[in-house]
Amino acid sequence: MQLKVKEELFDEPTCEHNMQKKEKKACKTAVPGSSTGGCALDGAYIVLSPIRDALHVVHGPINCLGNSYNQRTSKSKGSETFYMYGMTSSINENDLIFGSEDKLKKGIIYAVNKFNPKGVFIYNTCVPALTGEDIGGVARDLTEKLNIPVVPVQSQGFSGGKNLGNKIAGDALFEYVIGKKEPNIDILTDYNINLIGEYNIKGELFLIKKALSDNGINLLSNITGNATMEEIMYSHKAGLNVVVCSKALVYLARKMEEKYGIPFIEESFFGLSSTNNAMMHIAESFKDAKLIEKVKKNIESKTKIIRKEIEPYKKFLTGKRVLLYTGGVKSWSLISALNDLGMKVIATGVKKSTEEDKNRIKEFDANGNIIMLDNGNPVNLIKMIKDEQADILLAGGRNQYTAIKSLIPFLDVNQERINSYTSYEGIVHLGRQIYLELNSPVYEVIRKAN
Amino acid sequence: MENLKNIEINPLKTSSSLGAVIVFLGIKNAVVLMHGSQGCASFDKVTLTKHYRENIPVYTTALNELGAILGGSSYLKAGVKNIADKINPAFIGITSTGLSEVNGEDIHATFNELKKELKESGDYDNLSLAYVSTPDYDGNFEEGYKNAILSLLQTFCIDAQNNIRNISDYKNNDKNKDNGAKEDIKNIRANVFCPFSFTAMDFLELRDLLEDFGITPVMIPDLGTSMDGHLDENGYLQTTSGGTNIEDLKKAGLNNLNIIIGSSLKSLIAPVKKITGLNTYYFSNVSGLKNTDLFFKFLEEISLRKTPERYKRQKRQLMDAYLDTHFYFLGKNIAIAEGIDILDSFSEVLNEVGANIKIGVTTSKAYENLKNRFEILTEGDIDLFGELIESDGNEIDLVISNSNAGYTAEKIGVPILKAGFPLIDRIGHNFKHYILYKGSANLVYEAANLLMSANEKIMKEEE
Repeated sequence: MQLKVKEELFDEPTCEHNMQKKEKKACKTAVPGSSTGGCALDGAYIVLSPIRDALHVVHGPINCLGNSYNQRTSKSKGSETFYMYGMTSSINENDLIFGSEDKLKKGIIYAVNKFNPKGVFIYNTCVPALTGEDIGGVARDLTEKLNIPVVPVQSQGFSGGKNLGNKIAGDALFEYVIGKKEPNIDILTDYNINLIGEYNIKGELFLIKKALSDNGINLLSNITGNATMEEIMYSHKAGLNVVVCSKALVYLARKMEEKYGIPFIEESFFGLSSTNNAMMHIAESFKDAKLIEKVKKNIESKTKIIRKEIEPYKKFLTGKRVLLYTGGVKSWSLISALNDLGMKVIATGVKKSTEEDKNRIKEFDANGNIIMLDNGNPVNLIKMIKDEQADILLAGGRNQYTAIKSLIPFLDVNQERINSYTSYEGIVHLGRQIYLELNSPVYEVIRKAN
Repeated sequence: MENLKNIEINPLKTSSSLGAVIVFLGIKNAVVLMHGSQGCASFDKVTLTKHYRENIPVYTTALNELGAILGGSSYLKAGVKNIADKINPAFIGITSTGLSEVNGEDIHATFNELKKELKESGDYDNLSLAYVSTPDYDGNFEEGYKNAILSLLQTFCIDAQNNIRNISDYKNNDKNKDNGAKEDIKNIRANVFCPFSFTAMDFLELRDLLEDFGITPVMIPDLGTSMDGHLDENGYLQTTSGGTNIEDLKKAGLNNLNIIIGSSLKSLIAPVKKITGLNTYYFSNVSGLKNTDLFFKFLEEISLRKTPERYKRQKRQLMDAYLDTHFYFLGKNIAIAEGIDILDSFSEVLNEVGANIKIGVTTSKAYENLKNRFEILTEGDIDLFGELIESDGNEIDLVISNSNAGYTAEKIGVPILKAGFPLIDRIGHNFKHYILYKGSANLVYEAANLLMSANEKIMKEEE
């Protein structure tokens, strides 16, 4: 019975947050009666489901997939794409009595015969984990029988939250997918990198990929937005792992460093300065004077172009006050983007941030004025916005209605965001979107009528 | 068909706990607590937030592996107390989940214990609770919805009935009994049970209609005033901002009659009648000309009033809508993938206007009474739905389903009328109205427009 999640997943040596706590499982508990984020299944599904030529099968009752099917905003291009598909064994009362491993197997065989995918991910959930179903065994049998990788993901929700699920997904990739294939020589260049934790929300990957290729850097594998099984299988051939906006997947980068000797850096592509820094750090990692020179030049010309493009928005936005409430890495990476636009961040949410994240917030906070907001419950958020006279709230979808019902302008910067905000083009989108929202007449019209 | 493949591919079905959550969202000043892993609540909350575009007050007991194995009663108790202390709602609706049910724990016993503890503490006198068992591996959305309604009646109506009947204060205030039939008729109060397939606007229109006949409705649940999308006077709220009053629920047995609408609620007839002790009237749907006529006839009879002029006009408008649009439905094949209530009510209307109702895919086997209306009718998922649409000879012209079928319809290249739940890629569906005379006209106009556009597209391609 696979009830326990690997202890190792709770113990991330590169995570200062984790090392400072005596209780290492601190990251995973939620209090009864809270309005929490997702469970481990949610986290694992976010990481793995963008792999577009694999099937993703949730082994559990209908709610685990059925109640939320069709909601991911990860974009995908290419002929072999099952990214809009969701599958589940939908176990019922009979299955609980008689067991459902056989049903799961038959279901997967049916789907593989129908769709001919390059791999299958089986996600375990609470109920079959409790009744002791062995999805590892099912995966082993099917791998042999179907001749494609069938990967068990031990993502039962009671093990912990989204963050843990991210790690469980990383672990599944590391154990069952990465290093299982060698790439064709002709797709390798002198500078091969992987991105880890980039899910191609609203097509952001395509923007980052463009910026990389402008600098002559080859994106070998993207883990996992718009990825194919094959590209992840040969990702061990990269010279550098770039972890994007994901503390949880540092685990995967560290494991790849240990096994394949691939160094890793953590970067953000939010904002002009962050994107420039990321490009520079990538170039420096290859210790190649020619590449560094090229990137420097590119950055110079790109910066000029983008500065000119954001100028009209910046004029209006300079001095405007933002409250930023988002998770982990974005708590600092977006500050950089907002600074580029001349805006003043008055507070940033740090509930899900690590000590390292907090240090980086300080780096962007020349005067030490940014409030680190630990308690982001809606009432507290509204109070802070009013007390600090913020002009706009930038946050995730769950706070959208908190803001607009209180007649506070709002922009979604999490996975529901309407535009892509990363890389060079992204900062222009971000400036334009904030500018437009702040100029919407709707709040004033309602205030007068209210 | 679906039994042979052993897997749901692009599911149409949602679970019983989600159905129960929605009922509780139709209670005033409420929050919902799901007893399970944090994911159970989170998935539902995200879907509901996207569907309604409102803050959805759904919380979790956050069962972890210890609670799942050793028992979750302390999680449930702590969850309720934390919410009561933090948010202070009038009502907390509690659902179980697959996880909290699978080890066979007696959650109902915990619930009763908790109620006793709260009562003894004296600190929670303004808080009402209800619990419904919704193991996600058993049944579907409609069953959760139905069972939550029953739990509300069982929790509030039965106790209260005994109390109030003894004191008889309510009846005295109402002065109904002694003043003869005429007074009675002026003060008709009806408990009204509507299916979840009703949009918020359907709920509101039905309420207006009943009031126009002099009937005061107690809607159980009332998703019209709670989920219609309105800016509350107080701005942002941590609870629901409209919905059924618990006090009205307690007095449900003192009203005059029950009206139950919707195929999925048919099995409520007997228990609702028993609990309330009232005459109970059931309508499988109130859509289309024939069925809406029947419903108005019923309203005239129980209220002893004539149908108001505006509804007579709406009836004439629907007749005209049928005549005007029927050309676009001639020889057209419709495929519907929805829960049982929309399957029933939409096919009723489209059948009257002359479309071929070709394919129906639904979420349970409870469709026997609809068999004659469809050429193919089965339980299944969106993948099966897509296969049927593409099958030779079916030549589907219009698909009706929720957002989950959007991708399939687009890939096949057939127009889709998006209705039902969830609708996450549409906005304003709380304002759509698909029942009674006016709503039926809305439906045929919307469907005819889609067919018209598709037709124009084909003509252009052929040029």
